[in-house]
Amino acid sequence: MSRVREYAPAALVLVMALLLWEAVVFAFAIEFYLLPAPHVIVQSLRETYPVLVEAGLYTFTEAVVGYALGCGGGILAAMAASRSPAFATVVLPYAVASASVPIIALAPLAIVWFGVEQGSKIAIVVLMTFFPTFVSALRGLSSVTPQSLELMRSYAATEQQIFLKIRLPHSLPMMFTALRACATLAMIGAVVSEFFGGPVKSLGVYIKSTASLFQTRQAWSAILVACALGLLFYFAVALIERLVMPWHFERSES
Amino acid sequence: MGSPIIELDGVAKTFESRAGATEALRSVSLAVDAGEFVSVIGPSGCGKSSLLRIVGDLVEPSAGAVRVKGKSARQARLDRDYGIVFQTPVLYDWRIVLENVQLPLELAGRPRVEWQQRPRALLRLVGLDEFAGHYPWQLSGGMQQRVSIARALALNPSILLMDEPFGALDEMTRERLNQELLQVCTETAATVLFVTHSIAEAVFLSTRIIVMSPRPGAVDRVVTVDLPRPRVDETRAQPRFFELVTTVRQSLREDPGLVGGHVRPGGSGS
Repeated sequence: MSRVREYAPAALVLVMALLLWEAVVFAFAIEFYLLPAPHVIVQSLRETYPVLVEAGLYTFTEAVVGYALGCGGGILAAMAASRSPAFATVVLPYAVASASVPIIALAPLAIVWFGVEQGSKIAIVVLMTFFPTFVSALRGLSSVTPQSLELMRSYAATEQQIFLKIRLPHSLPMMFTALRACATLAMIGAVVSEFFGGPVKSLGVYIKSTASLFQTRQAWSAILVACALGLLFYFAVALIERLVMPWHFERSES
Repeated sequence: MGSPIIELDGVAKTFESRAGATEALRSVSLAVDAGEFVSVIGPSGCGKSSLLRIVGDLVEPSAGAVRVKGKSARQARLDRDYGIVFQTPVLYDWRIVLENVQLPLELAGRPRVEWQQRPRALLRLVGLDEFAGHYPWQLSGGMQQRVSIARALALNPSILLMDEPFGALDEMTRERLNQELLQVCTETAATVLFVTHSIAEAVFLSTRIIVMSPRPGAVDRVVTVDLPRPRVDETRAQPRFFELVTTVRQSLREDPGLVGGHVRPGGSGS
């Protein structure tokens, strides 16, 4: 019940925004190729449904596979780096700096290297998600307090025990912050790298080609599908986070 | 009496850093018998925490020898002869209270069937059996420190090392936990090495008080506390209690390093 009350204002704002959108398009007689009214987009969504599902799945697969490889690789690399502080100090500045590099600019080159199909998009998503995950996971794994380590030493704990029982659970909140952000990044990376070329049955190419033909309502319905998939991905990761760290959420809610 | 359980012989510690060498301890010799409760008191930066860490093999001495139960400190640590309590409770957010107390049993590779029995008994001993299923952050500071004490006792160690365990608590909670600690020690027969800033706390708890001089730390004076046992609330009202408090206070004041209340800041002390 409290949940409903919590989200009701936000839902109300959405409904009002859509109504306003409809009203503005109607009142100013805006041509649909410039800005289609919401009901027109929904109608188009119904008509082109099968094409959009196919394109959505194609692009979503790139995002998920790239995410799994990038984040998985980032976590594994962070685990390896946390074992050697010397290695970590050499690598960390570059990993942090990579956040300001527009990796998407590599998309045209990725097509040269990995082909025009899913491979090149996956490569971009891997690059986009690897570094943020690596940095957050490494920070989490190495931010255990000195006293905590003294305590473990006093119990003659092995490195493996310290890792599994202290470092790993301690790092989870930070790791999941990156994993949630990367879910969003992965979907952006997949759609945008398709703008640089790809098969017609992908969301990015579909958006680009319909938009250039002034088929604005089709473009909008594809954008809507991309949004829905992005949100789905994000909330799936957020749900896993809740299941993995129930203690973390009990705390913030108490 | 037999041979002492903890023996320090000429233990010294110098910390090397970029700013140069800092002499934290200078030739400390000390013997603690089994079942004793020995407090170490002294001004900030006198190396009392370093002393505790050297006994627990968390820090290597620069010179001198440490024998614990006739073994090296390192061997004693590997044999899990120590239970340690710090000023902060160092509990883990992802473990409920019971799981925090059972952590040492897991680390020692004890079979899973043993994980619950002793931790539950220890939580009863510190009066927290009702909170076994709570998370640490749902408990007050005093309760968290009780959990930390229960955890330190989980493997039934022969030596309890405590580094200002009640330093962050209010006076009322501190006095109540002092009382509880003595009961716990009686029941577990552990030998305690206890670092503190509080003179009253040291007198109330200890069989002996080691008064240390400021940096470089050295044993200035040893005060034997001849108050009757068990120590109870009334103990704090006895004339002898006040005499001992005065004795310890004077020993601390006589220190040339403390004249004018000037204590050098920083360092590895507390």
